[in-house]
Amino acid sequence: MRMKQCSIRVLPLYNSVEQTIRRLFQAMLPGRFTFPKRYAVLLMPLSVPVFGILSAYAVPGSEGRMVPIAAKSATPSGAKAPGAGSKARDSSKPARSLSSRQTTATSTQQSGEQIYRQMCISCHGVNGQGGKVFKGPLVGDRSIGQLARFIRLEMPPGRPTKLPVEDARRVAEYIHGAFYSPLARARNKPARVELSRLTVRQYRNAVTDLIGSFRAARQPDERRGLAAKYFKTQRNGQPILERVDSQIRFDFKTAGALPEQDDPYQFAMSWEGSVLAPDTGEYEFVVRTEQGATMWLNDLRQPLIDAQVKSGNSNEYRASVFLLGGRRYPLRLEFFKGVQGVNDLKKLKEKPPQNASLALEWKMPKRAGEVIPQRFLSPVVTAEVFVPVTPFPPDDRSVGYERGTSVSKEWVEAATEAALETTAYVTTHLSELSGVADDAKDRNERLREFCRKFVARAFRRPLSSEQMRLYVDRHFAGGNNQSADTELAVKRAVLLALTSPQFLYRETGVLETRATPSESAPAAVLPAAALKKTAANDSGAPTTGKTTPVSSATSTSDAYDVASRLSFVMWDSLPDEQLLKAAAAGELATREQVMQQAQRMATDPRAWFKMKEFLLQWLKVDHYPDLAKNPRRFPKFNEFVASDLRTSLEMSLEDIAWSEKTGFLELMLTDKFFLNGRLASVYGVSLAPDAPFQMVALDPGKRSGILTHPYILASFGYLDTSSPIHRGVLIARNFLGRQLRQPPAAFTPIAANLHPKLTTRQRVALQTRPSACASCHTLINPLGFSLETFDAIGSLRDLENGMPVDATGSYLSPYGQEVKFAGSTDLTRFLANSEEVHTAFVERLFQNMVKQPVRAYGPRTLTDLRQIFKVNRFNIRRQMIETAVVAALYGSNVSSSAAKKPGDAAGAIANQTAGDTKSAVKATSAANAGGVPRT
Amino acid sequence: MSDKHNNHKGVTSTRREFLRALGLSAAAMPFLANLPSLAATSSGQRKQRLIIMFSPDGVVPSTFWPDQEGAAFTFKESLKPLEPFRERTLVLNGVCDRVRGDGDNHMRGIGCLLTGVELFPGNIQGGSDTPAGWSSGISIDQEIKKYLQQNPATRTRFGSLEFGVMVPERADTWTRMCYSGPNKPIAPIDNPYQMFSKLYGRAKDQEQLKSVLDDVREDLKRVRAQVSVEDRRILEEHTTVVREMEQELHAASKDVGHAVPVLEPGVKKDNDNIPQISKLQIDLMVNSFAADFARVATLQYTNSVGQARFRWLGIQEGQHDLSHEPDNNAEAQEKLTRINHWYCEQLAYMAKRLAETPEPGGGGSLLDNTLIVWTNELGVGNSHTLDNIPFVMVGNGLGFQMGRSLRYQNASHNRLLLSLAHGMGHRISRFGNPDFCGDGPLPSLTA
Repeated sequence: MRMKQCSIRVLPLYNSVEQTIRRLFQAMLPGRFTFPKRYAVLLMPLSVPVFGILSAYAVPGSEGRMVPIAAKSATPSGAKAPGAGSKARDSSKPARSLSSRQTTATSTQQSGEQIYRQMCISCHGVNGQGGKVFKGPLVGDRSIGQLARFIRLEMPPGRPTKLPVEDARRVAEYIHGAFYSPLARARNKPARVELSRLTVRQYRNAVTDLIGSFRAARQPDERRGLAAKYFKTQRNGQPILERVDSQIRFDFKTAGALPEQDDPYQFAMSWEGSVLAPDTGEYEFVVRTEQGATMWLNDLRQPLIDAQVKSGNSNEYRASVFLLGGRRYPLRLEFFKGVQGVNDLKKLKEKPPQNASLALEWKMPKRAGEVIPQRFLSPVVTAEVFVPVTPFPPDDRSVGYERGTSVSKEWVEAATEAALETTAYVTTHLSELSGVADDAKDRNERLREFCRKFVARAFRRPLSSEQMRLYVDRHFAGGNNQSADTELAVKRAVLLALTSPQFLYRETGVLETRATPSESAPAAVLPAAALKKTAANDSGAPTTGKTTPVSSATSTSDAYDVASRLSFVMWDSLPDEQLLKAAAAGELATREQVMQQAQRMATDPRAWFKMKEFLLQWLKVDHYPDLAKNPRRFPKFNEFVASDLRTSLEMSLEDIAWSEKTGFLELMLTDKFFLNGRLASVYGVSLAPDAPFQMVALDPGKRSGILTHPYILASFGYLDTSSPIHRGVLIARNFLGRQLRQPPAAFTPIAANLHPKLTTRQRVALQTRPSACASCHTLINPLGFSLETFDAIGSLRDLENGMPVDATGSYLSPYGQEVKFAGSTDLTRFLANSEEVHTAFVERLFQNMVKQPVRAYGPRTLTDLRQIFKVNRFNIRRQMIETAVVAALYGSNVSSSAAKKPGDAAGAIANQTAGDTKSAVKATSAANAGGVPRT
Repeated sequence: MSDKHNNHKGVTSTRREFLRALGLSAAAMPFLANLPSLAATSSGQRKQRLIIMFSPDGVVPSTFWPDQEGAAFTFKESLKPLEPFRERTLVLNGVCDRVRGDGDNHMRGIGCLLTGVELFPGNIQGGSDTPAGWSSGISIDQEIKKYLQQNPATRTRFGSLEFGVMVPERADTWTRMCYSGPNKPIAPIDNPYQMFSKLYGRAKDQEQLKSVLDDVREDLKRVRAQVSVEDRRILEEHTTVVREMEQELHAASKDVGHAVPVLEPGVKKDNDNIPQISKLQIDLMVNSFAADFARVATLQYTNSVGQARFRWLGIQEGQHDLSHEPDNNAEAQEKLTRINHWYCEQLAYMAKRLAETPEPGGGGSLLDNTLIVWTNELGVGNSHTLDNIPFVMVGNGLGFQMGRSLRYQNASHNRLLLSLAHGMGHRISRFGNPDFCGDGPLPSLTA
């Protein structure tokens, strides 16, 4: 009963918790009492997941007063501490119990719940679910005031007891908050894994990978740069030199690139390889040359930039293209000096020497232009990538992660349009993708096989005979081998597959039209030959069987479901060939096997890409896309510095967060970051001006962790000044998992020049002094103040406008502990080791990866996952894998003894983690035993 | 910057904007926005159209130019196919391309033909003169298109369409005639199937979509039966939208203003298929006018220095090689005459198709409201002269007085370009190099 003790300690003045809270809420109204700062924390529950967002707050009552819904913030149901992560409702108990507190707090009056239990429960049931007399559930949309009046005058029916006004009101408040109001009902609804359509990201990845699965993948090796060929004169003929060039930035002046190119009027080079797009978005490619050049990207038949004709003074050629992040695109560049057309060299040589230079640059989404850095280039020419460009409406992110639990007309239309776009692409690349030549003799038959494969891969499972007929064979029924008819059949099959709910939705459950075990011969999704065989053997048997013997109380899923969940968690995309093969071979039957696959999948760049997007979202950096500072105040801080900082952040994240060896702690505490020469000069590190990005110590002892990365600090700041509020909100919400209300109105920060004698800290304190602000800002400000040693661009400072900087701060946890920070390193050390922070991170990670609420995966899953995080030394990559395994195996009957209860697969995990069974068990029991979180 | 590059960008951005603006349900837009006579009724004016047809390597003057001036003239061998349209034909002699500067005459011949302005210096070396790059100005077809597209009453889905026949797969000064601006050449589309998909791709998409939507609804029903009651909601919403889409598609298909043409399949890009490709392109062009997809079109046969082999006429040599033969090579001159006769037949076919096609929503035929201008990068092949550039016009689209043969004395072709603009209602005072714009549009064209 740790919670109770803590709460009582901070609530000595009031004789009941309810009264306390009511007073507190009253105090929040302007013009009432001054709000006692240290109680504010009560109003903000810790790491309350989705359902709890509003639970701590008030809803306007009928009389316009703020009233507490319930005392959830002070006492979660059951005996569990909120930090422990259990949010499940125990249906045998009242939804919201204040009884435990009531017994300890000295009470002079009965709580609403007590009255309800004494007087109402016999008819209405413990949770208002109804009883013998009153059969319906006690739900409605009356306000508390109306409800109180009704209770007082009408209850019980026929012989109203005429409760005193105050008592009736308390009962009404209790009922309203616990189960009566729509809000309460929504909150009490058990979380479940909801049928979800693909999110926009998932849709794009899925069609891209679906097409890609018909192309031979070529993996880049460890070399970085582009494969170059140097030619003596023209581009045809044998190259005189082949090598790998690190980047394309050359100035040949008036000579050849090599001594062997001894005719300075004509020589040529070509480069090929691939380029990795680190982000999703619109890329602008730029070729700069005074001579002729052609550049191809992705589609190697159609140049993206054709600058073979030199004309006038133009020497800069630009083209934009939309690319999906985390993928490589083939690239080719050709350069030549000299004239084209009629050979007229004699005349040319009478001319003055000409300069020749060449640069290949890009502008990544939201970045400044730069020569494409070596680290993104590979000399290996990878396969073309189909990138659908149809615009989609953005996904719902209101719960903190993108989810596909609703459809709109815009979305269905966009998905249909994208299906048409994809169908057109398949049609124009048909012979390449299918491997069937346009004049092949058995083209009709072979394209039908191609379509079966296509549909099966789109549906992530082998097709039953009925599905084959429905989605493919029917369209080919015309049967005459006319090429136009065949192509039409392909188009229909592809279009139908891509508009089918079986492609567009996840977690559709096992359909009766799915393959029977006999039909889904191993690898039937895969080689065309296997499919043909399957079709030939098909005897039209009934198609209601289940593929793999898995079942559970909550859902039915088979090995293909496991494969599909795994791939959507790890990649936001379809299962790859290996995963489907494993499913077909029954090799996704145990936790170990699933784990092995997840580990393999983590090495794919798509996994890091997904993790990176999550981390950037966690750090909330894309909320403030234009990182600009006052150039008079920060003359060195320009768009290139901002762009380099972003690069530095992403490189630091990859290096620390994605490593096998380091993890969350290192991320939170590192004093080394990636800097290049330009950043070094801004942030006072000594590096050569043109030094490439490298890990260097930055303000050792005074700066620690990703929170103190200059990009984060600069992002959460104004043009001239830091913003302790933005920084504090980031820490409170995204690190500590605290819920904060929106400010009651939009405020403009007090301009610094109105109070030249105040520091930023003092101005913030002044502006947030009113009691309406204080309820949240007593939490926010002292967190943000701890970072005051960093100015608007994230540079270290001791003074602000000549005044000393005060970076002391504090945090009052919901458990009642107050932690004091002397500055940023104290703060980050606290955060790094805080269980609140770990829980919030684990939950956020889960929900971003899985796109479902973690509560839906069982009451203990979050606790277990946090324990796993700890056992694995807070390794983030590992945590992604564990998350994927939990989600993939949910509801499936894995051969693991520990997963006894359905939906409690996580229980198995703690015992099998990292081969460290003992410590896991020990740690788990320690957590279960309770105990004050260490800070 | 390359035309292909522009193209690529253009396609992507317009497609995305288009989709963003309209969504799928408006995919039938091309038809809805181009319903017959919408534009005509709103402006109260007739729809005017301009076609510029290009063939390369000059002509044989002695078999091309009529001897007479005025209304009483006789078509010589090269222009004989125009006999049925003699009352609607206007032959202009004495119009000269006087633009000089970088580039050889073939390059300037095509690059300045519709732009009336010099080429930029560059790295494309011709057989003589200095190397050059792209044109330094916009071409008249694009200028007129811009003008028409600015006005809602004359705005069409594409504004202009650039057709080609056997244009080489390389972007250089010799292969580009149209420019959307300085250094912005436009690649003609010489693949009829590509043009078809540009014009009717959406309609085809709609047909396919209609054919599968029933199945999609069935599919949704099947899945719905398998999921929990709570999860059915999202699928029901999905089904509702699919049903709405079906209804919209059904409504849209009723509004199609004209039948989607059926193309002869499988005509490959090959020298010997030039006659079929030519016919397909002309048919598509006439169709696109009937649907009011555009008011301006160009049709470019091969390229400047074009080397087509007219084997279907029994001519084995390449056209450009033949065009270099001296005047006294009678056989070559005869072959070149036949070659130009063939081009003229294409012109006549185009005129015939336009004359046969009624003006949608108005009286008369498309030819009544269309002017075709047939031209060339050179006057004569073997001299490479830019004097007496052939300009043969057919149709009544621009209010010119047709049925005549006119002779000018060294009139700058910029003035003719101005006449075309004025004829289309775009009253600009100069176009291209102002030095060649003289006293404005050519005299005596209009009655």
